[in-house]
Amino acid sequence: MEIAIIGKSDFIVGFRLAGIRKTFDVKDDRELEDRVRQCMDDRDIGIIVLHADDLKKLPAGIQRAVDESVEPTFIAIGGKEESGLREKIRRAIGVDLWK
Amino acid sequence: MAIKDNIKPTRSELLELKKKIVLSQSGHKLLKMKRDGLIMEFFEIMDKAKNARAELMKSYGNATQKIAIARAVEGNVAVMSAAFALKEQPEINLESKNVMGVVVPKIESSGIMKHAHERGYGVIGTSSRIDEAAEAYERLVEQIIISAEIESAMKKLLDDIEKTKRRVNALEFKVIPELKDAEQFIKLRLEEMEREETFRLKKIKA
Repeated sequence: MEIAIIGKSDFIVGFRLAGIRKTFDVKDDRELEDRVRQCMDDRDIGIIVLHADDLKKLPAGIQRAVDESVEPTFIAIGGKEESGLREKIRRAIGVDLWK
Repeated sequence: MAIKDNIKPTRSELLELKKKIVLSQSGHKLLKMKRDGLIMEFFEIMDKAKNARAELMKSYGNATQKIAIARAVEGNVAVMSAAFALKEQPEINLESKNVMGVVVPKIESSGIMKHAHERGYGVIGTSSRIDEAAEAYERLVEQIIISAEIESAMKKLLDDIEKTKRRVNALEFKVIPELKDAEQFIKLRLEEMEREETFRLKKIKA
């Protein structure tokens, strides 16, 4: 399995330096959405890394799918993510336990 | 009321119902224990997840800083060319682990941290700043993998907690009361029939 990075060119260049080959340079929101969909269907990808700001740009439907998805797992870095996880905790346990 | 409407007030039906009640009560007890166990497991993992998140943020901040320096000093082209020269790529392996009947992924990784000479770009042509940036990003990727493992485990646990909770509640507030209702109904009905029977006998005798 591999790790995939989706984001703007300055976001992904560092990951290329770490040796990750599936880095997808997206220029606009439309392309971002298509890429995320495509990567979700790719059985070879185990982890997808996104920038938190890009995650917020996705349509609500995909955002929910991203939050729920376990295979591949999505990790958003930069900014405060965890909102999806937080909502999930609130629903399952009944109280907001995160912080 | 669904069960009550569909039963015949007979003794065998009553016995059957009693068995069902015992079964659902033991099921309810077990599921309750499972739920509590899962929640305990979840608390443990949540602490880990929080720590992993914090580490991840720190690594990301560090890595972006390093690459910004590398790009500022060496220029974009040099960094890009080094980045595109890399051949080795990290591999991750997904295995599964069983926590209280919930299958959670266990991610093994290999080939992330590399020595400068293993990276594939020329050591002479590039500077130490690029090396530093690469190392910082390798660390970040390691952190991402740890986070991914913990967070996906957490998601799965949460899903299962929700499911188990729903089952416990359904048994407690729907299935068991309905069965008990039906049991009561049969009991009363049987008593009533007995009384009718004695009355009839008395009438015949009289």
